[in-house]
Amino acid sequence: MQNDNERPICHRAEDLVTYLYGEASAEEARDFASHMRQCDACRAEFIVFNRVHDSIAAWRNEALGPIASPAAAPEVSFVHPAIVRRKLPALAALREFFTVSPLWLRGATAFAGLLLCGLLVFAISRLSQKPSQVTAAGSDARYTEEQFQKAVDKQVADRLAQMNQTQRDQETAPEQVTDSSNNSPRPQVAASHSRTGTPRNRLTREERVQLAADLGLIQAREEEAPFVLPDEPNQ
Amino acid sequence: METVTTDEQMVERALSGDPEAFGEIVRRWERRIFALSFGMLGREEDARDATQETFLAAFRNLRGFRGEAKVSSWLHRIAVNQCITRQRRAKVRGETALEDEAERNAAVFALPASVSPARTAEHREISSAVHKAVCALPAELRQVVVMKEFEELTFQEISDVLDVPLSTVKSRLYTALRQLQMRLQKFGEAKV
Repeated sequence: MQNDNERPICHRAEDLVTYLYGEASAEEARDFASHMRQCDACRAEFIVFNRVHDSIAAWRNEALGPIASPAAAPEVSFVHPAIVRRKLPALAALREFFTVSPLWLRGATAFAGLLLCGLLVFAISRLSQKPSQVTAAGSDARYTEEQFQKAVDKQVADRLAQMNQTQRDQETAPEQVTDSSNNSPRPQVAASHSRTGTPRNRLTREERVQLAADLGLIQAREEEAPFVLPDEPNQ
Repeated sequence: METVTTDEQMVERALSGDPEAFGEIVRRWERRIFALSFGMLGREEDARDATQETFLAAFRNLRGFRGEAKVSSWLHRIAVNQCITRQRRAKVRGETALEDEAERNAAVFALPASVSPARTAEHREISSAVHKAVCALPAELRQVVVMKEFEELTFQEISDVLDVPLSTVKSRLYTALRQLQMRLQKFGEAKV
């Protein structure tokens, strides 16, 4: 046996610490206990080590108190809440992500974010330039495509209604139309008579000439002898 | 009947994207890791920092956890490495934290008011002596003492954490206890 600082006094030093900390099996414990009754060095060290162990335990309990016991003081936290926190707000989660991520991942994320923003701006600008509104020709008023279509439909409907109204008026007042046809030598009036089935009046000579002139079959009376200067003076 | 989710299952959940899983691991182990860090570093402030760095490192390397060791062993190993790194840095910076630690930790060692002033002073002296003696141990001995005394890990668990043979753990602890006994005798404050 040696009383050196670095070397064990007894060859059963490892058994001593196993026994001291209660990790020996029942058989090992019995065996070492019987050894200690014969080995003064191990018996003395066991007593001394027990005191050291008690001193450390006292220090631990005083220093750490409830911390030393895992079941106690569950509210005590030694880790930054950012690491433990269950549900983080978006900004905090982003900050934590950038804190714990490697540099390349931070760079890639930042680039992706910028790219996304750029695409968003581009898409918005394209949408704002899209011809969703139609400018009516000759007018400063702007319409959407739907409004424009409605306006066209309305115009068409108005025209049709107007034409129908005109036709109904003509059907309900044939005499008036006939009277007016007498005053007008126009062939379209005769045509309207034929459509309505009214008897055709015989045209006067003047009217026939006028009709022929209107149709271009003959020259108008005014055009038959245009005024020209004679070839020879004083004729 | 409520089933308890193991640490390993929590790691799997964290890896599969469960945001609460890693928080649960932290809650389970932060006190133990803090105790280990405090025993290793001897300063509450440093122990807090080391605890945070431990969990941060664990979070970063979560994918590196292969499940070959227990999560607790893995965390302890990270914590020990963090503490050793901090001590090396402190040594490089020339910090001698040991001398002022007794004063710094006086508040930590505060005892209940019912204890008499003389008894309080005696406790503080003993605590200070133990603290200094533990901090003066070489790192490889100190980490074994801290894991055994502060963490109450088994020899096998310490062996797993440090990745050294079981007999090495026991012989280191034996050597550490002897050195502590001699230092405490030398201080004459612990009645050893």
